[in-house]
Amino acid sequence: MTERTGRLRKAAALVLGATLALGITAPAALAERLVIVMDPPSAETNRFWETSGDLALGPAMQTLVGNDPRTGEFDNSGLAESWEHNEDFTRWTFRLHPEARFHQDWGPVTTADVVHSYDLHTGEDSILTGINLLRGAELEVQDEHTITFVLPEPRPNFLFAHGGRGIMVIYSKAQYEAEGIEGYDRRPAGTGHFEFASRSIGEGVVFSAVSDHWSGTDATVSELAIRYVSEPSTKLAMLRAREAQIVALPRELQPEAVDAGFAIVSSTNPAMQTAFMFNNLYPPDVDGHNPDLPWLDVRIREAINRSIDREVLMEVLYDGRADTLVRFMMDPLNEGYAPELAERFEAAYGYDPDRARALLAEAGYPDAFADPVIPIVSTTLGGNPEFPVMAELLQVFMDEVGLQTELREMDWGTLGGMARARTAYVLRPMRNAPIRPTEVGLRVFFSSHGRPINFYEHETVEALLAEMATTIDAQARDELGRAAFTHLFEDYSDIPIAAVAYEIAVDPDRVAGWDFPGATAIGLSHWHLIDLVE
Amino acid sequence: MIRFALSRLAQVLFTIWAITVLVFALSHATGSPLDTLLPDDATPEQIAALTSRLGLDQPYHIQYLRFLGSALQGDFGDSLRWRGEPALGLVLDRLPATLSLGGLAVLISLAVALPLGVVAATRKDSWIDLLARAIALLGQAIPAFWLGIVLIWVFAVWLQWLPTSGQGGLRHMILPAIAIAWFQIAALVRLTRSAMLDVLDTEYVKLARIKGLAESRVVWKHAFVNAASVPLTYFGILAGSVLTGSIVVETVFSWPGTGWLAIEAIRGRDFPVIQAVVLFFAVIFLAANYLVDLLYAWLDPRVRHG
Amino acid sequence: MASIAPPLAPRKARRAARRRRPPIIPLALLLVVLIVPALAADLIAPHDPYQSHLRNRLQPPAFWGGSWEFPLGTDRLGRCMLSRILHGAWYALSISMVGIAIGAALGSAMGLIAGYARGLTDVVLMRLADISFALPAVLLVLALGVAWGPSLQAVLIVVAFVLWAQFARQVRGEVLSLRERDFVARARVAGAGHLRILLRHILPNVFNTIVVMATLQIGVIIILEATLSFLGIGIPRPAPTWGLLIADGRQFITSAWWISFFPGLAILLVVLSINLLGDWLRDRLDPRLRQI
Repeated sequence: MTERTGRLRKAAALVLGATLALGITAPAALAERLVIVMDPPSAETNRFWETSGDLALGPAMQTLVGNDPRTGEFDNSGLAESWEHNEDFTRWTFRLHPEARFHQDWGPVTTADVVHSYDLHTGEDSILTGINLLRGAELEVQDEHTITFVLPEPRPNFLFAHGGRGIMVIYSKAQYEAEGIEGYDRRPAGTGHFEFASRSIGEGVVFSAVSDHWSGTDATVSELAIRYVSEPSTKLAMLRAREAQIVALPRELQPEAVDAGFAIVSSTNPAMQTAFMFNNLYPPDVDGHNPDLPWLDVRIREAINRSIDREVLMEVLYDGRADTLVRFMMDPLNEGYAPELAERFEAAYGYDPDRARALLAEAGYPDAFADPVIPIVSTTLGGNPEFPVMAELLQVFMDEVGLQTELREMDWGTLGGMARARTAYVLRPMRNAPIRPTEVGLRVFFSSHGRPINFYEHETVEALLAEMATTIDAQARDELGRAAFTHLFEDYSDIPIAAVAYEIAVDPDRVAGWDFPGATAIGLSHWHLIDLVE
Repeated sequence: MIRFALSRLAQVLFTIWAITVLVFALSHATGSPLDTLLPDDATPEQIAALTSRLGLDQPYHIQYLRFLGSALQGDFGDSLRWRGEPALGLVLDRLPATLSLGGLAVLISLAVALPLGVVAATRKDSWIDLLARAIALLGQAIPAFWLGIVLIWVFAVWLQWLPTSGQGGLRHMILPAIAIAWFQIAALVRLTRSAMLDVLDTEYVKLARIKGLAESRVVWKHAFVNAASVPLTYFGILAGSVLTGSIVVETVFSWPGTGWLAIEAIRGRDFPVIQAVVLFFAVIFLAANYLVDLLYAWLDPRVRHG
Repeated sequence: MASIAPPLAPRKARRAARRRRPPIIPLALLLVVLIVPALAADLIAPHDPYQSHLRNRLQPPAFWGGSWEFPLGTDRLGRCMLSRILHGAWYALSISMVGIAIGAALGSAMGLIAGYARGLTDVVLMRLADISFALPAVLLVLALGVAWGPSLQAVLIVVAFVLWAQFARQVRGEVLSLRERDFVARARVAGAGHLRILLRHILPNVFNTIVVMATLQIGVIIILEATLSFLGIGIPRPAPTWGLLIADGRQFITSAWWISFFPGLAILLVVLSINLLGDWLRDRLDPRLRQI
């Protein structure tokens, strides 16, 4: 209470003082201070486990496993120095970097902190994404720096929970015991190259660089101010006015920034896949099956895919800097990659309005359909400013071949609620960011394991995934994933759109470069590698 | 007088109660907090756990009574979107930002609109009158968000006089305050000008002129004082609209005040915060009106018995 | 008419004469920008407003280096801006007309009843008006938009909600003083019922107020729709409402300014002419109303 009145008084004093200060220019910014502008995260809190998984504390907090800044592959730049698993992926043992230390003198990182963090992240109140990969483990502490996760079933993709998706961040047990949860709310101690300095709700978070970081490398930037700005034109203006040096700018505005002399820096690997989903592709006996959905007919699904000129789509949505996606959830770096599908893509999915019209005629569209109108969802989601344009473009293409469409605007939450009720009878945009391991992605979205929100169910995929769950041989797993992708490809289970890198616009007078792999949930990572202009 | 005050107080309390029902219904009409809190791939266990933790499995009337009971004690519960923050605390924390911005906007609009309206009326059909009328029109015809973006480009990007956005002192407040004041200026100029025209036409002012008083004295001392009641009445409405007026501008200038908080809370289905923001402002608005009513009644006995 | 006035007439008289003359220019503007396009956009628009010309995205207007195929340029999906603005007129006209009609009818009825009945009815109705003053309208529509998704109905409800209390207060105030006037007393003595007194004697006397207030609200409503579009809860896409056009073009203010400029100009011209018309109407009907 006293704090609040104090703050009120401070605000009043500020207004008075500022009146006098008008005309005096702001003090010149520190040479090493950088302002980074991003979309507001879905939740502003220091309690990561009470968010759906945007790690807004990336510069300060670390997970057990890190990623290579160029390839995105898992490496030991996180808190674990090394790890190993048994033959059937049910025991994973991690050895911590012995020199790793928490900020603010909260001591070295030990296995007690790992156990504490595991309990926080898998507790009742955890709403984290992909939690099934983490839950259900027994933790065996071997010593101060060695810990084993004993899993109830084989989890070959267990590392994805620690690097990549990174849903288990290591918090300090000592701080929790001394200060309680309020200590985390105020100023959580992490282990990253930057430490948490302050958070202003609605404005952003400030981090300051740690000197003599335990990893042996230090950041070049001394202070990182992350600002949350949702309005795209304001973001561009901040860049142009040189108030911000790094801005997550929608692709539509990037050409303007480039024309004004700013540079675009991309993640070294694709950070995200985008697609439009045919919702509720279920067999007749499954809850949520709706016989009136026109896209239950595979010819309609093919016709829709054929109606889209993906070249134009890439140009309009991503300024030409994106790869056409062959299969949603399939990635060259992951299991089950089927290169032959890329070769077959043009023949099966290529732009061919005549073929689309012929398919529609063959299917008897629209007369043979109870409800031929296809609703397309237009929605916005932080990090995907292209979704509304994508919906409008899809409508343009579909109208062209004679499909009847209707644009339906709704927010992401409403869409999620409908999906959970299994009544989202629409075509909807979807993203896969960070790109999930094959088995995880297929289980959640293309099989009954993902109920209630899965898009697709089919006995072939169910059988393949059931087999995959018990298969530990790498080559056999690869074949199973490949078979599943091939089935989905041939069944036109969705409308794959693009694999895109995470891009930021930077002020080339201040920032020389930044290697980040695009492997994390928010796209950005490796904040200490921001390379300043000398 | 006491009878009047008590009966009006009873009416105000009833109104507030009606608003609590409305706000409760409205916030629940926006859907479920589960929709925005949970990730796309939430498991059935996560859905069930969150539902019961938020008490959403209770019947509506129980949820309402719980909300009313704690709201009476000033407790709106913890925010769902900003974990670890009490809802009312969030509102109070954001309040200075909105009040200072809204206050500056009102100051700017008074400082511009009153003199302009008065001068426009005294020199009817002169260039300054035309200017005043043009401003009144432009203020009604330009959406605040668009004006805000244009202001950012002109004053922050091209001229580099002021910062684009964010908080941090008076320099940061000027552009958003102008964007908010724009519409108010239009309305106030219009009102002041027409009220002055009416007063300048009265016998009373003509008499003052005949008596040979200096024109500036006639205008400011005699006419304006009489005309001022009209814009000042409107000023009350203006002050009440600080929240509404700032919602859009706060977004454009990324100025996290209560307007921004309200939008984000609705988008996030953050029931406790929605309820706290709306009720807080409704209570303030009603309390201010109640005081004004009492003041009128005290000044003018006829009102009490009317 | 004006030519009849003697050349040496005092300025004041000349001005008064000018005021009585129907304002030709605002009327013409209104016809050209709003009414004709609203009724006949299909006939005069050069293109289908929903048709994308993807090879012609972000084309500038003809006089700014573009071609006459798209006189006012194109948007980010290559749609003809002129056609979109012309088709948008229908939405501007219908939302403001329907929304204001609902709000004015509801508010005036409430005001009439409250002012005439007084007592408990008055108290209840005015507290209802307080509620709608105390609840910020933008938040209301945001909640409705989130609940139902953006829709024309939600926008109309909010327009009506924003307006009704204002009409109710104004009308009630006038009715309170009218009901004490002689002609009402005379009607009552003559045995007229309450409904007859309200409709035949009081309503005609407040009608001017209602008309003038309604006229002046049109601009407010068009701007409100633009604000709702900015927040993503206006009339749903792809309907080319002027508000949506401005909101969609705001990102391109420096690179493709025409996307938001021309719809903005259309709003400006409509609000300008409606205000001039409203002023004229007010001076004709009831000069006392200057203060609304």
